[in-house]
Amino acid sequence: MIYSKSGLWTDAAALSSPRLELCRAILRRLVIVGTVLIGVSALTFFVLGILPGNAAQTLFGQDATPEQLARIEAELNLDRPILERYNLWAVEALHGNLGHSLASHQSATKLLADRLPVTIELVVLALLLSLILAVPAALVASRWPARFIDRSVAAINITTLSIPSYVFALILVLMFSVHLRLLPAIGFVPLRESVVRNLESMTLPALAIALPLFGLYTRFLRGDLLEQLLHHDYIVAAKAKGIGSLRILVRHALPNSISGLLTVIGVNFGALIGGTVIIEQIFALPGIGKLLLESVHARDVPIVQAIVVTLAAISTGVNLAIDALYGTIDPRTRNASF
Amino acid sequence: MFERTFRPLSLLAIFLTACSGNATDGQARRSGKPPLNEVTVLLDAGYAGSWPAGLDPATSPTGRANLSIMNAIFGGLFQLTANADGSNPRIVGVLASGFEITNGGKTLIVRLRDGVLFSDGTPLDAEAVRYNIERNLATPCSCAPTAWPWADKNRTVISDEHTIALNFSRPFGAVINAFPVSNINWIASPTALERMGEDQFKLAPVGAGPFRVVGDQLSAVLTLERNPKYWQEGRPYLDKLVFRSIGSEQAGVQALLSGDAQLYEGMTSTSLMDLAASRNDIVVTQQPPTSTYVIQLNTLRPPFDDERARSALYYATDVDAIVHGIFSDRYPRSQSFTAPGGLFHEGSVPGYREFDLERARAIVQELGGIKVTLNTIRTFDGERIATALQSQWKEAGIEVTTQAHELGNVIQTFRGGTWQAFLQTAGSYDPEAGPGVSFRFRSDGIYTGVHDEKLDAILVEAAASHDDQMRFQLYQSAGKLISDKAYAPFLFAANRAQVATRDLSGPGLTTKIPPIMVNTAILWTDVKRNLE
Repeated sequence: MIYSKSGLWTDAAALSSPRLELCRAILRRLVIVGTVLIGVSALTFFVLGILPGNAAQTLFGQDATPEQLARIEAELNLDRPILERYNLWAVEALHGNLGHSLASHQSATKLLADRLPVTIELVVLALLLSLILAVPAALVASRWPARFIDRSVAAINITTLSIPSYVFALILVLMFSVHLRLLPAIGFVPLRESVVRNLESMTLPALAIALPLFGLYTRFLRGDLLEQLLHHDYIVAAKAKGIGSLRILVRHALPNSISGLLTVIGVNFGALIGGTVIIEQIFALPGIGKLLLESVHARDVPIVQAIVVTLAAISTGVNLAIDALYGTIDPRTRNASF
Repeated sequence: MFERTFRPLSLLAIFLTACSGNATDGQARRSGKPPLNEVTVLLDAGYAGSWPAGLDPATSPTGRANLSIMNAIFGGLFQLTANADGSNPRIVGVLASGFEITNGGKTLIVRLRDGVLFSDGTPLDAEAVRYNIERNLATPCSCAPTAWPWADKNRTVISDEHTIALNFSRPFGAVINAFPVSNINWIASPTALERMGEDQFKLAPVGAGPFRVVGDQLSAVLTLERNPKYWQEGRPYLDKLVFRSIGSEQAGVQALLSGDAQLYEGMTSTSLMDLAASRNDIVVTQQPPTSTYVIQLNTLRPPFDDERARSALYYATDVDAIVHGIFSDRYPRSQSFTAPGGLFHEGSVPGYREFDLERARAIVQELGGIKVTLNTIRTFDGERIATALQSQWKEAGIEVTTQAHELGNVIQTFRGGTWQAFLQTAGSYDPEAGPGVSFRFRSDGIYTGVHDEKLDAILVEAAASHDDQMRFQLYQSAGKLISDKAYAPFLFAANRAQVATRDLSGPGLTTKIPPIMVNTAILWTDVKRNLE
């Protein structure tokens, strides 16, 4: 027996109510997210732990005496077994303390707070740009399949899929910064300083990441739309009712393809974040990718650990949100989506 | 660090940028406002643009790589300058008014300028210098000047507010040349240090240089503003200096062409230098080289504990082919640890083992084969040279494996002691300063593979002498001994370039100053931007 919203004691049949099912599903998913985070953090910790070299030695160089090294190792807990170190880290992390940089002694939380917004903005803009370009392109291509416009879109797709984002970055800078002189080639302007200049500074980096994604999303969406147009009865029914082709595409086929597109976005999200590492280097953006690369080179283990766990959390969070969106987009999948 | 991938694209860039417009200020052009009196400097993310531990001179192990930044904030007691064409290089006082060497070369008296203030308004006096030296020597940082022959007692003695004596246990002839490469050249405000604490200070250090820190995102962006308390009236000329770390020289050149940056400091790519030099709006200033590429050999372990094996590498190495094939004959060949831009340069060493493939093959055969792991730092040029050496040595029958290391991990390879050969650079403006000859060849160094008492004695004597003629002769002897014993094949002297927009000018930027250590120390006080 449980206490229902109406204030009445109800029987076990209430367990099957949609709201309770949703709560259960969210709980199940949170358990999975927690397990993923523990797995990722443990794996990162142990992999970084078994790498050759000693962080204390790297930090303090050739002239550190054995006594100084021993003191530093004790301060950093490097003299303790790796399992104990992981436990200490995990307990602190659960309290919101992701550790301190070995190099600068800055708190990892502060470093992440400084750098993460840049990367998140870059990822969000790249995603938006890729979708803004991909959806119309896929609609046009599937509206006139095997025609000139479809073939043109296919050619553009293959081109954008074949060229890595860092090559796009250089080409875009040559076009829009060096020749047309419309957008900056490097640097980042925070939103609080100027919205316009912020968008100017992020357009080219976001576009460089968005173009390969555009190819991927267009290709998927076009295929899915065509599959529906050719094989699904409800499309035939719509046509029989005299509904126009474009309307069928936009109002009937596209919504049914969105959940598939969301799946592709979710699966590809990790790669999207990974792509920012190189793009941030090229455009001199002070984001998390640049910080990660720097920390790996400096063997700044706490920062690497904090970044990897944060990115894993974001990635699983995004996939969780996508799972939740399935239910909103297609009510039939509400129970099955979690 | 992505140069391997980007390099082929430079050909495309050369074509596309040939017809682009002038590199005027990017932001000014887009906003329609006149350009500001500020400069954006691009620094290689893998070297000068990396300051993960902050910018406190006493605790930052990357301070020497961040030479330009450190000089802008701290100014320096002394700096290296030269005539515009790079001739007559000399050390001059900046925050110090002069120096005197006494006590048979065992004491350096530093005289400080009157009225020098840190940017926090406190005075830079002898006590501040003493505080910094003692603090630097007390830290376990690899940047600490512990290799200097400090006296056991009274190593710093203050005579008056503006005079401090540095005492050594033996004569130290290279001391004044070693100053600009040492962290004790950068004096931090003791008051600010105590007020802020070390952890905050390293993020926003306070010095008495021409600029003060207003924003610092480690290894990403550093924003400096003109220091209104700078001792020299009317200087610096610039109002603001922004250092940005960038991961690609190709992207750096494009930023210059778009006007979003005004300087790329320490460029190494010869094709990009050619591209930039072909344009009217860009000035490429290649600095006189002071260090050379060298293959360090570990003489304590097989196979290079045998002089014949070492000789085989000398004979198997075709330096001309590398300089011609990879660097378009841009760099001069070396047979020793000195280079044309530095002191005591020696172009050739009598009896040096030249390329002779047949002799190399004969030695390899005589030894029953040689297997070697050639290490290098993970840089574009380093890996290219290592690959070239690998193919040349294979021709002589030597089995070669190459291994690239991050700069920060090199020390562990040397400490491990199991390395065989390491491609490095050796030398600096003064052979004794920085990663010079003692750093690479003296037995008591970490980064050495040579253990030769005779060589040690020569190098100690050369470092001690204040007689330049005697030092020259001693370094010649050292070069001859290294060559005779086949301790390390030298390759060529490489130099980096300053690539700047034409509206920028200044010493070490558009004029030549020998690199004090890898990069040239730009004298920021005198850097100007023509805004008309």
